[in-house]
Amino acid sequence: MTDREDRLRSLLDKVRAKRPGERETHAAEAVDRLRTGSGTLAASASAVPLSDPPTSPQMESPTRYSSQPPTVERPLSVEPRARSAAPPSQPALAASPSQRPAAIRPQSVAPTGQPVVYATEQPEFPRPKTFGELLELTLSLRPR
Amino acid sequence: MHDGRFDPGGFYEFNLNGGMIRTRNGERVVVLSEDVLSSLVAAAARDGDLTPLRRLGELLGEQALASLDRPASVLSAEAVLGHVSAVTALFGWGRAGFERWGSALVVALRDKPELDEDELGAAALLGGMFSEISQRQVSCVPTGDSKFIMVDFEVAETVWGWFKDGADLPAIIGMLEAKRAS
Repeated sequence: MTDREDRLRSLLDKVRAKRPGERETHAAEAVDRLRTGSGTLAASASAVPLSDPPTSPQMESPTRYSSQPPTVERPLSVEPRARSAAPPSQPALAASPSQRPAAIRPQSVAPTGQPVVYATEQPEFPRPKTFGELLELTLSLRPR
Repeated sequence: MHDGRFDPGGFYEFNLNGGMIRTRNGERVVVLSEDVLSSLVAAAARDGDLTPLRRLGELLGEQALASLDRPASVLSAEAVLGHVSAVTALFGWGRAGFERWGSALVVALRDKPELDEDELGAAALLGGMFSEISQRQVSCVPTGDSKFIMVDFEVAETVWGWFKDGADLPAIIGMLEAKRAS
């Protein structure tokens, strides 16, 4: 074992021999103070706290809470939501007169199912008589 | 039939071994000279019996009728005339034609055989022919110049008398027209 090691061992022993006592001393003092109600916790804050009384207004938490609402980066209500308040049964385009569709006009007339009537009729030309008609005429001749 | 026209092809069937001539309808025919036929017709006219010639005309009418695809009464006069003239030509009876004189229908038979002076033989032949074609009693009365007026069977004798009395075709038509208009 070297000198250095001897020194370190001795220091360690000193620490081991000293700290338990100090711990007990400090703990006893804290209990006494709580029992008597004297002293301040702040005074003992440097020491290890046992617990943080939740209702104590004088206690300072290491984590800071803020009662203000968090910073709003986007508005909660936007314009599109306000416009979409129309009832679903109504057409969306009907709520906006500027975007109303143009009136539907018929571009062609549906057939009525009636037959096409031609405006002109076949011109009547004198039809040549058949042989039977000519024979009927000549056989109908009678002397006076 | 044949597209509405008379087809003269194969109209006669010559059986030289059998010594017979038949039409395509199976009727046996005999070839006679004009002189012989005219003698026979003249004799029949004198006797007042032109029935054989009328019967010959009916046979010609049957030939024409067999070549029609429809009844002659519904056909045009030109269509009927085409078949009639073809048959008369095949039998050597001249060229047939139609003429309209007012309401009268007149048959002209050009270049026919010279049979009798009054043309009664040809009149009987045409009468039989058109009676067969029209299925009615038709008389063809001679009016001169190889023209025959088609009249009802009942008035044929009267019209023939007018012609014999010197009336020409226009006069006969006028008398008939006057009668029909009254």
